[in-house]
Amino acid sequence: MARMKFLCDAERCIECNACVTACKNENEVPWGVNRRRVVTINDGKPGERTISVACMHCSDAPCKAVCPVDCFYQTDQGVVLHNKDLCIGCGYCFYACPFGAPQYPQAGNFGTRGKMDKCTFCSGGPEEDMSEAEFKKYGRNRLAEGKLPLCAEMCSTKALLAGDADKVSDIYRERVVARGFGSGAWGWGTAYQTKNGQERDQLRERKQGQ
Amino acid sequence: MLIKKSAVAAGGRHLSRSLSQTVGAVTGATVDRRAFLRGSGLAAGGAALAATMPFGMVKKADAAGPATAAAGAPIKQLKTICTHCSVGCTVVAEVQNGVWIGQEPGFDSPINLGAHCAKGAAVREHAHGERRLRYPMKMVNGVWTRLSWDQAIQEVGDKLLEIRQKSGPDAVFWLGSAKHSNEQAYLFRKFAALWGTNNVDHQARICHSTTVAGVANVWGYGAMTNSYNDIQKSKALFFIGSNAAEAHPVSMLHILKAKEQNNAPLIVADPRFTRTAAKADEYIRFRPGTDVGLIWGILWHILENGWEDKDYIAKRVYGFDDIRAEVAKWTPAEVERVTGVPGSQLKRVARTLASNRPGTLVWCMGGTQHHIGNNNTRAYCVLQLALGNIGVSGGGTNIFRGHDNVQGATDFGVTSDSLPGYYGLADGAWKHWARVWELPYESVLARFASKELMEKTGIPVSRWYDGVLEAKENIDQPESLKAMVFWGHAPNSQVRLPEMKKAMEKLELLVVVDPYPTMTAVLSDRKDNFYLLPAATQFETYGSRTASNRSVQWGEKIIEPLFEAKTDHEIMYLFAKKFGIDKDLFKNIKVNGNEPLIEDITREWNRGMWSVGYTGQSPERMKLHMQHQATFDKTTLRAVGGPCDGEFFGLPWPCWGTPEMKHPGSANLYDTSLPVAEGGGAFRARFGVERNGVTLLAEGSYPEGSPIKDGYPEVTMAMLQKLGFDKDLTAEELAVIQKIGGEKIGAVSWTTDLSGGIQRVAVKNGLNPPGNAKARCVAWNFPDPVPIHREPLYTPRRDLVASYPTYKDTKSWRLPTLYKSIQDRDVSKEYPIILTSGRLVEYEGGGDETRSNPWLAELQQDMFVEMNPFDANNAGIKDGQMVWVEGAEKGRVKVKAMVTERVGRGVAFMPFHFGGWYQGQDLRSKYPKGADPIVLGEAANTATTYGYDSVTQMQETKTTLCRIAAV
Amino acid sequence: APSDAPPVPTQIEGVNRGDVWQAVRTGQTVGVVSIPDKKAAVLIQSEGEAWRALRNGPLSQYGSWVLGGIFAVLALFFLLRGRIRIDGAKTGKTIQRFNAFERAAHWLTAGSFVVLAVSGLNLLYGRFTLLPLLGPQPFATLTHYGKLAHNFLGFAFILGLLLIFLLWVRHNIPERHDLVWFLKAGGLFSKGVHPPARKFNGGQKVIFWSTVVGGGMLAFTGVQLIFPFSFATLAELQLFQLGHAAIAIVMIAIIVAHIYIGSVGMEGAFAAMGDGQVELQWAREHHSLWVEEVTGEKPGHHHSHGTPAE
Ligand SMILES: Nc1nc2c(c(=O)[nH]1)N[C@H]1C(S)=C(S)[C@@H](COP(=O)(O)OP(=O)(O)OC[C@H]3O[C@@H](n4cnc5c(=O)[nH]c(N)nc54)[C@H](O)[C@@H]3O)O[C@H]1N2
Ligand SMILES: Nc1nc2c(c(=O)[nH]1)N[C@H]1C(S)=C(S)[C@@H](COP(=O)(O)OP(=O)(O)OC[C@H]3O[C@@H](n4cnc5c(=O)[nH]c(N)nc54)[C@H](O)[C@@H]3O)O[C@H]1N2
Ligand code: HEM
Ligand code: HEM
Ligand code: SF4
Ligand code: SF4
Ligand code: SF4
Ligand code: SF4
Ligand code: SF4
Ligand SMILES: [Mo]
Repeated sequence: MARMKFLCDAERCIECNACVTACKNENEVPWGVNRRRVVTINDGKPGERTISVACMHCSDAPCKAVCPVDCFYQTDQGVVLHNKDLCIGCGYCFYACPFGAPQYPQAGNFGTRGKMDKCTFCSGGPEEDMSEAEFKKYGRNRLAEGKLPLCAEMCSTKALLAGDADKVSDIYRERVVARGFGSGAWGWGTAYQTKNGQERDQLRERKQGQ
Repeated sequence: MLIKKSAVAAGGRHLSRSLSQTVGAVTGATVDRRAFLRGSGLAAGGAALAATMPFGMVKKADAAGPATAAAGAPIKQLKTICTHCSVGCTVVAEVQNGVWIGQEPGFDSPINLGAHCAKGAAVREHAHGERRLRYPMKMVNGVWTRLSWDQAIQEVGDKLLEIRQKSGPDAVFWLGSAKHSNEQAYLFRKFAALWGTNNVDHQARICHSTTVAGVANVWGYGAMTNSYNDIQKSKALFFIGSNAAEAHPVSMLHILKAKEQNNAPLIVADPRFTRTAAKADEYIRFRPGTDVGLIWGILWHILENGWEDKDYIAKRVYGFDDIRAEVAKWTPAEVERVTGVPGSQLKRVARTLASNRPGTLVWCMGGTQHHIGNNNTRAYCVLQLALGNIGVSGGGTNIFRGHDNVQGATDFGVTSDSLPGYYGLADGAWKHWARVWELPYESVLARFASKELMEKTGIPVSRWYDGVLEAKENIDQPESLKAMVFWGHAPNSQVRLPEMKKAMEKLELLVVVDPYPTMTAVLSDRKDNFYLLPAATQFETYGSRTASNRSVQWGEKIIEPLFEAKTDHEIMYLFAKKFGIDKDLFKNIKVNGNEPLIEDITREWNRGMWSVGYTGQSPERMKLHMQHQATFDKTTLRAVGGPCDGEFFGLPWPCWGTPEMKHPGSANLYDTSLPVAEGGGAFRARFGVERNGVTLLAEGSYPEGSPIKDGYPEVTMAMLQKLGFDKDLTAEELAVIQKIGGEKIGAVSWTTDLSGGIQRVAVKNGLNPPGNAKARCVAWNFPDPVPIHREPLYTPRRDLVASYPTYKDTKSWRLPTLYKSIQDRDVSKEYPIILTSGRLVEYEGGGDETRSNPWLAELQQDMFVEMNPFDANNAGIKDGQMVWVEGAEKGRVKVKAMVTERVGRGVAFMPFHFGGWYQGQDLRSKYPKGADPIVLGEAANTATTYGYDSVTQMQETKTTLCRIAAV
Repeated sequence: APSDAPPVPTQIEGVNRGDVWQAVRTGQTVGVVSIPDKKAAVLIQSEGEAWRALRNGPLSQYGSWVLGGIFAVLALFFLLRGRIRIDGAKTGKTIQRFNAFERAAHWLTAGSFVVLAVSGLNLLYGRFTLLPLLGPQPFATLTHYGKLAHNFLGFAFILGLLLIFLLWVRHNIPERHDLVWFLKAGGLFSKGVHPPARKFNGGQKVIFWSTVVGGGMLAFTGVQLIFPFSFATLAELQLFQLGHAAIAIVMIAIIVAHIYIGSVGMEGAFAAMGDGQVELQWAREHHSLWVEEVTGEKPGHHHSHGTPAE
């Protein structure tokens, strides 16, 4: 089974926000909830780069680990989904998520954040595939329709790649070779890839080393 | 390409089906569009609701109801084109029962390969129409009240006729739109002609008019020479005054590909470190308004080192020595003094450009929106000519145009200085079009106040309010303007809003025909004689639109017009009927009910647009191209196999002759490496054959397969006769030519022959219908024949005014136009900061559409001004603080400060898409109820100032002065 | 064309891509976003990882030891010491120890605390304990109401805390004889030992101050968590959450002991918070100085029991 991943090629991303509005379009995400967002670093200066971020569908997902009601699950394509019927909107997944992916429809006062919402890799939720209930709670289930996430499919510069991890990395590798210099990409190198937490450890080591 | 899994077999979209089930449940048996709108509102709200409701209580779909007629209805995939910018991205809409339920990437489109920017990826929201103008409205004693279409047409029509009666046809200004399809644009121009005025214009005036005029006067056509796709072949990429990453985002798909694949250096010259600059290998920061100096500074190094393409210049360029003389003045030291760019950097740039050929040069508004805009555009052309980069794949001046159909609307002459096809306004032009319309010339003439006014350039949109405010005796027409019709055009896109506000209040009648109320609805304090008529968008109709690369794409109708909106051509028909010109206007166009048949309009312009090669693009051919997009090569745009084999996508003009001739269109202009019949060409012989004894025709350069191995003038009947090619004409063709030419059959040319015979025969024999000339570096008919630098009217560099003064005050385009008297007033002490303006990726134009779209509006909620930390610190301003930006003519805007190094010291930048605030005042309450955009803000143009291009009346929106102070 | 032309483009100087990414990954570089939610500008929030590790690791683990531990200790204590009886003969007379208002304040605090503790612990441990028993949906429902209760009762707890503090703070100033009390371990481990005490003995003062300080800290951190991002950043919230849970666990342990002593653990104690009337003999034994204050009786005078054998 293919392992689904995102990769955002920062040498290409131009902060056009198509990925963001495509997501709104496809999933009818309400105002204030940003399943995907575009972040610019070094804004307005040489070295400016932009990256589009959403849930990275981590293996060994931190959100899943901390959820008090254990409402997350990971599909066999590696997509991390959750069950809104169970979610109590506690916000813990946001505290844990390295990518700020979980979103809440409300500001959160008095614990009324509402049901957490996040990128589903355009693959819905626990409801029956492509059912109305699924759409209303989670948006479209493109994977079930045989399509890939709309954010990536519509990306203006094909900076954002989504799909089978092997294919995505092949495409990216080709680009890097063509460019002739190493390059920033935002993908599973930054997400927590390995089951045994190696990446995490490395990250921590690096932090400690500073 | 991404790995795209094959679509699930038929019926795969259960979701959509169940979505419309909901709709069915809401509405009863059938699903109509309005019900969908409610339904989809529910769906959206539903998602939000579900998200906030406690666990286990997520509302079950109200769709559970009985199966309705809607259930299982087939889902149609319809194709149209994004309605925002000139890239021309294909939009694939999924429609079920008339409801636009989904949007898919148009992977097959060779232009966008499925990609979109924020706006294109959000166009489906337009179908929700939450903030649209729903029905005709008029202002009664300061209150918006609803009225019926019938009433609206009667009332507005009567008032217009009354004004026409009293003050003449020229007292009405018909402001058309680059949002119209080609058919609507063409019809609009014809409509204005039959109304009897040249006071008709559209966005191109304030967009690329200086490009169109400038470039056309260098080599023939004022358009992008190559295409977005062709950039993939470039070895160097030079952007000046173009922020493609925000304004033409999908073009970056091709640009970045060139950068990666060819290792093409990307050079960006811009006063701002833009998002395009962020991708550059070399960024040149320079002072706004000094483009000519910068270009000559680069050319200086090229000439100094002998890097120019001497062979090319000898064969294809006229007047280059005059350029040498001017460029010699631009030594590195002088360039640095004027532009601020060190010579060493420009030497590096020159070398990069010279050693990476062919390279493309891209410009946009940074170059055009100046009072010397036409100088800028010609200077860019000259640089490319010097490098031998024009007429070659990978080269070209890739002028990124603006709106989705600004190229088309320009081509179809929605301008105060031309009829469709750049025929101009002279007697011959009118006669040509009268022949196409099959109307007696005299009857057209009779619609005008006089023959003089019929042939006189009208008032441009950039100056319309001067046409209202200026005293009658100062205007070259009988009366000042009394009525203004904004037909798909925002007001906050024109400079000097305080003046415009006054003019709006002075008018006898103000009409808006637009899907949105626009800022026009709220800017003035009018109390009556003020109408808003809801127009449909291009998603609610069909027809062709021309992308920047001259490809003409056919868009299908996605949904029926929302609410009571009507399509523009229907509204034109209703007015025509009211004015009694419907018989003439639609003589050869079928009208179904009140709706003129689009295909008939296309065929009519097919019969008249010879001068641009808009004659081969029949509706059938265009539809075929859209249907078989997948067969076109993604780089060359040429179809490989399939029913369009060998043709270029969208039949980019010139597409010579009749549709039956099957010319493939021309992907790259002036490309001599191809036979004309296969899309090749040469510079247009537009300016005669010689000047002062020097030939203007090409020497030893000619399109592949040409029978004449040298330059030649425009093709006429006489020329065919001389070459003996006239024998190839059919009897029918000859009959038409004879009918047009009468006595002087030899004078009938490729542009006036309605049979297409001359073009057919010319192309068949390897001739380029517009001739084979040199590009000219000297436009002797312009105020500055050789492009020179002139300081902006509002400049902080008073020390340079003496050496680089502006023009003398003059009268042009029916109005007095000031230059020197403005520049002489030194305000640089009170207004020390240069103010420039431009775009944000999420919003478009005046922004009424995009600021009403929640998916976009959420992304930019505050109007702001970018200022350098140096200036901010000097003024004691912190990031995020509210400030007053006051323009040099005292218009003030209250905006948020964004302190950033994106702009250099002494330069401030504002986006111009905001509106709905005026000088600190929030005008939200003045919008018709429910039609106020989600995000409002100050319009940048409240603070912008006077300044108009000496040739085209382009407004100077890219350089003025301002001061910024904390609120 | 120039011969000395470089074939490769010049890169914009001053940018080392590697450093940029390094900084992003470690959270040192914060970007900008155009949406109002400025938190979104953080690309990698590595602290989340540390938070998760601490919460799911040591916090839960040591917490469970502490909680398990306190019950084990109390059970052991009960086994060894049994219920602490009133040593002397009951007088049959009672005196008022806490008036209705004081009792109300106590029960407001106590009641809310218990719900808070239970619902709070459910957040931390329910997933591993109740969830398998109840199944996902019932557990989620329970947890949801638990959360609601937690979020609203927090304010009841704060109110009770405030009242308790105002009512009793003057009785809880540490004093010299508290030392004696502690040296004798309050007599808890030996029958008949009753170090003198005023209204509150040393042990109770500990309970009081733990309640006030611990409860105060829970209140502070809890309120931050209820109004996320209103006053605190994400990193602070993560700290507050960990602190909240850790303090809660320690407090629960202390209060469980308190509840034990206040109910089954000691004869006659509950009445103080029951109807407010305590057996005079109980009061003499545990709060001799207080009895003296209220009744004028000398401490130790009425010990009907002789000093025990020891
Ligand atoms: N998102 C979005 N896209 C659009 C549009 C939109 O409204 N929104 N509009 C469409 C239209 S109508 C058009 S015309 C195009 C315009 O597209 P662009 O022209 O690319 O956009 P602008 O931001 O207006 O201007 C480009 C750059 O010119 C720079 N500039 C300012 N002053 C000068 C100067 O003196 N010289 C030079 N060389 N540069 C200068 C500005 O800093 C700015 O970065 O975009 C089209 N696409
Ligand atoms: N300061 C400053 N000012 C500028 C510029 C700048 O860079 N700086 N740029 C200039 C440029 S390049 C341009 S092109 C202009 C753009 O400025 P405008 O063209 O005035 O702005 P838009 O809002 O795009 O106007 C298009 C209008 O058409 C309407 N519309 C859309 N579709 C249809 C349709 O099918 N039928 C009808 N009837 N109406 C329709 C939209 O609702 C909208 O109101 O602004 C210019 N102004
Ligand atoms: C639910 C079971 C509880 C019982 C049976 C109980 C019982 C009592 C009793 C009997 C007293 C009076 C002791 C005396 O006479 O001196 C008391 C006092 C007190 N209780 Fe509780 N209590 C309970 C829960 C709590 C809780 C949850 C808290 C705080 C979080 C608390 C805080 C206090 C304090 C601060 C005092 C005063 C100091 C002290 O006597 O230790 N109690 N409690
Ligand atoms: C003073 C008022 C209190 C407030 C405002 C408060 C608030 C909170 C909040 C907001 C949470 C986060 C969970 C969520 O959002 O649902 C929480 C968790 C928790 N609270 Fe409280 N709380 C208070 C008092 C207490 C008390 C008295 C205890 C126990 C003695 C307690 C124990 C816990 C525990 C154990 C957690 C779970 C921590 C975890 O799952 O990691 N809280 N509290
Ligand atoms: S990115 Fe965040 S929300 Fe997504 S799987 Fe990882 S931890 Fe969970
Ligand atoms: S917010 Fe919902 S999904 Fe996230 S941890 Fe809490 S219960 Fe789980
Ligand atoms: S994968 Fe789907 S849900 Fe996730 S960000 Fe992209 S469009 Fe949104
Ligand atoms: S659509 Fe692509 S280029 Fe645009 S912001 Fe998203 S990832 Fe970047
Ligand atoms: S606005 Fe332009 S670039 Fe963006 S989707 Fe539309 S046509 Fe394409
Ligand atoms: Mo434009």
